[in-house]
Amino acid sequence: MGWINKQRNILDFALNSLLRRKGKNSALFVVYTGIIFLVSSIIFSSESIKRESQILLENSPEVVVQRTIAGRHDLIPEQYIGQLKSIRGVQEVKGRLWGYYFEPGVQANYTFVVPDEFLYGPGYIVIGNGVSKTFLAGKGDILPFKTLDGSYTSLEVADILSPDSEIVSSDLILLSEYDFRKVTGMQKGFYTDMILKVRNTRELQAITDKIRRILPDTRPITRNEIMRTYEAIFDWRSGILLAVISGAAFAFIIFAWDKATGLSSEEKKEIGILKGIGWETSDVLFMKTWEGLIISLSAFFLGVFFAYIHIYFASAFLFMPVLKGWSVLYPEFRLVPFLDMFQITTIFFLTVAPYTVATIIPSWRAATIDPDSVMRL
Amino acid sequence: MRIWIITLVMLYIVTVPAVAGQKKPLTPAQKDKCPVCGMFVAKYPDFVAEIIFRDGSYAVFDGVKDMFKYYFNLQKYNPKKTHEEIDSLYGTDYYDLVLIDGRKAFYVIGSDVYGPMGRELILFRNYSDAREFMRDHKGNAILKFQDITPKTIEGLD
Repeated sequence: MGWINKQRNILDFALNSLLRRKGKNSALFVVYTGIIFLVSSIIFSSESIKRESQILLENSPEVVVQRTIAGRHDLIPEQYIGQLKSIRGVQEVKGRLWGYYFEPGVQANYTFVVPDEFLYGPGYIVIGNGVSKTFLAGKGDILPFKTLDGSYTSLEVADILSPDSEIVSSDLILLSEYDFRKVTGMQKGFYTDMILKVRNTRELQAITDKIRRILPDTRPITRNEIMRTYEAIFDWRSGILLAVISGAAFAFIIFAWDKATGLSSEEKKEIGILKGIGWETSDVLFMKTWEGLIISLSAFFLGVFFAYIHIYFASAFLFMPVLKGWSVLYPEFRLVPFLDMFQITTIFFLTVAPYTVATIIPSWRAATIDPDSVMRL
Repeated sequence: MRIWIITLVMLYIVTVPAVAGQKKPLTPAQKDKCPVCGMFVAKYPDFVAEIIFRDGSYAVFDGVKDMFKYYFNLQKYNPKKTHEEIDSLYGTDYYDLVLIDGRKAFYVIGSDVYGPMGRELILFRNYSDAREFMRDHKGNAILKFQDITPKTIEGLD
């Protein structure tokens, strides 16, 4: 009990002494919070974008096979299905039909996808939220699409995809195979690419090797490769951000180091007086620790809190353009909030711990000097 | 009517145990451990093997190799049971990852595919699958159930 009371008194003293040097400490606090805010914003956003794309890709097929001619993606003929199916370990092969459609009226690119089972049949489409907004089209409306020969074909909106899956589905137009071939002019017997279902992922390497051998004009892409590419891109982008703010971070480190290590003669005198009136070295150290903890902990919590708001509620408006790149159509997409204790701990140990340590050492040095000589300074 | 039901039940009781290898494969529970190496089996679904006895009791393994060790040394691992009491043996087909009848399967040894217990016998539903696997993964030989001896298993450790 006595120990707690003593700590309470020391804490009280520390708070008062912080208030006595209001200007200096609040400047430090603001810069400190800002840095933690930036660092945790970057970590939060890149981490949750990565996670999001991982969730998306988890449902994607194990292998995608594209045909390439002169290094460019080309349509893949139907006969390849049989050859791919004959490979051991491949459970299922499906041709996919998808492509892009440029709508000159609204200057936007849409994605055509023919789903495995299209419930509504020819003459109907299901559109994503973004398409519905730009066309101002609802259920039952009829939209014209320019076919390859220049004529127009009208398709009725049968349904609108739910807005939950905004990033993926916003620019989607789902349609039947018949309409797809009519609009795009893709011949029967050809597909955009093919997807393979492989039960035993241990066998993926052997399967892709065989595909390259049997069908030399194709390129098999495994899901892991796609995931790795995404990850590399996001890591690279958050790396750019880190490089940009590292200047600010260094400025802070110098500032904090200076403030924390170089005790002003006034502070030294204070320590000397405290020792003179009977404080022990340990008490002085406790006081300084409390001071450091108060500043760094509150800066830490406030910074992380603001970063959380910034990333998950304000759509990371400060640096989303950098992280997402130029190809993003929808500025208003919200990341799914998630908190990873590992990240929080990392931020904590990168900021709070060194600062606290840096404040204690010089005070310890000052506290161990003879009070008399300190007061004479 | 009643007579019929009784006869049917009697018939069932008499005939079913007589037909061996009829018990369906089961998915190992989270707690099931391999009696040979002591590892949890559910963690390695791609290599599950199992022996089911006529009374419904069973043993699950994290690899066919351990199943054979158990099978060849039943006295040590399960002294109360005899070989005659074994209803069915199952192992996981490499390509489909489903449990298949171990007595009818083809086993490839010496391949570069390792299980949780190291070198393994990899099994297949049909011979052509096994042959292609052997070619792709540098296997040494294709064996049938009756070809496998305690010596083959020793050679894998």
